[in-house]
Order: sequence, then structure tokens, then C-alpha cells
Amino acid sequence: MKEPDLPMTDAEVTECLARARQGDEKAVLEIFHYMYPHVTKLVQANLPARESAEDLIQQVCVKVTTHLHQFSGKVPLLHWVSRIAVNTCLNQIRHEKRRPEVRLADLSEDEAAVVENLATSSAELSASDQVASRELVNKLLDTLKPKDRLLLRLMYLEGRNLEEIAQLTGWSKALIKVRAFRARAQLRTRYSLLMKEKS
Amino acid sequence: MNPLDDQLNRLFRAARHAPSPEIAPPFGLETRVLAAWREASARPGTFWDGALLIRGLILAGVITMACWLPALNSTTKESGPFADVVQLTDSTLPSSDESP
Repeated sequence: MKEPDLPMTDAEVTECLARARQGDEKAVLEIFHYMYPHVTKLVQANLPARESAEDLIQQVCVKVTTHLHQFSGKVPLLHWVSRIAVNTCLNQIRHEKRRPEVRLADLSEDEAAVVENLATSSAELSASDQVASRELVNKLLDTLKPKDRLLLRLMYLEGRNLEEIAQLTGWSKALIKVRAFRARAQLRTRYSLLMKEKS
Repeated sequence: MNPLDDQLNRLFRAARHAPSPEIAPPFGLETRVLAAWREASARPGTFWDGALLIRGLILAGVITMACWLPALNSTTKESGPFADVVQLTDSTLPSSDESP
């Protein structure tokens, strides 16, 4: 069996899928290990209640493997998996109401240092600030509506383009543009409040 | 560009390059996934989860509509030789309100 840590090429994925369709359990496990980190990242990024992320990750993995025979192969496997993961997350967060506020006092030392750096310098943040930046972004995004949060994550953290986001979410491109504009404006407002508090 | 936008862009760029922690599946998930896959592949192409069912339902709907339409026409619109007689009688007989 292929080592789980090594990434699979497209040809290997296709070959694995063919073996899985013929009933090869090892191939199913290879596909599972291939998609697991991707599913985990997507679910953890899009689910506000982190404690239930594990259940949802398992739910997505089971859903994907039980529907593997329905995968047509017209798109890459990970796109198909992403779509299932995103839809599962959207269903989960549909009724979410609570959105926490971010205050300067809630930030860790490293996150506060990132805010300080951003305000005082126009240079790019250093590599040592990356983890704190990710945490700060997560806190800021958690203040937005679930769909806005999902969209900004896909755009700015995963670097997806309009086409890919439309495929993943099933939203029209016009809707994505409008939603992204509004979400970005809201995020700017939250960030400016943080800055005001700092100064 | 708005300074806040510039700061946010730099923040996003740094966050995007943050290293991801090691991700390993929890104990037991492999077994659960395999069991679910075995169960699903033991009933491949079951009637209820195939696209065949949807197509069948659509076809049944079309056939039902095709059967209903003539029946609806015959009940809502009077037709045939008697319809003309009824219409003629309606138009020629004065109602009791109109009589002097």
C-alpha cells in the first residue's frame, strides 16, 4: 500500500479508483488517506464549533467512500470531495446564530504583535508571524456570517478563483462577487474596530 | 489602496502560508470507513439511490399528465352535438328576471 504521507498523482488516483470499484479494500484505504487531510482542513476551516469538527470529518469521509461508485471522474477527485465537504459544512452551520466579537484583550501576545506590526510597518509579515496571523484571521472570520466566512476562506486562505468557488458552493458568480464585496467590507469594519481599540 | 485593505491583504498572505499541523485520522475511522464502503458496495445500484428512480418518477409524471389532459378537457369544456343545443337554448330562452 502507498505511504499515506506521500501525495498521489492524478494517474495513481485514477488507478486507485479503478481498483476500488473492483472491490479492492486497500485501494479504498489509499483514497481515504489521500483525502483525509484535505477534508480535515476544509471542515476545520469552515466549522465555527471546533469541538464538533471531528464528527463532521468522519461524516464526510463515510459519505465520500459510500458514494465512491457515483464519482464520474469528470472532475478531479479532490474537487468532488471538497464539494461534499463544503455542502456538509453549509448544512451544519445553516442555523448558527452566535458570532463572537474580537477584542484586543482576547488576542494572544503573538496575535497582538501581528496587529502592531501591521499598523506600524508596511512590510510583509515575517515567517514567524504566520501561525499567529492564521489565528488572528480565524478570530476575525468567526465574527462573520457562516457563508461569508466560508467565501473569504476559500478566496483568501485557499486562493480559490471565482470558477472554483462557484463549483464548490453551487453559487452563481454574480452572487459570489456581491457576497465577497460585502463580507470583505464587514471584515474591514471588524478589523478597524480592533485598530481603534489599539490606538 | 485603503491602508486597512493593505493591512488585511498582508495579514491574509501571511495566514495563507502558515504551516498546517500534522493531520492523522483518529483510531477506528479507517475501520468505520471500510465498513461503510463494504455495506454500500454490497448493494450497488440499489433501486432507491439510483438516478433510475428519478427518471422513472419523471416518466410516470409525464404519463399521468398525458392521461389527465384529455379527461380534464372533456369535463371542463362542453363538446359534441349536445353542447351546441345547450348553448342555443341558453341564448334564446329569456330568464324569469327579463320577462315583462
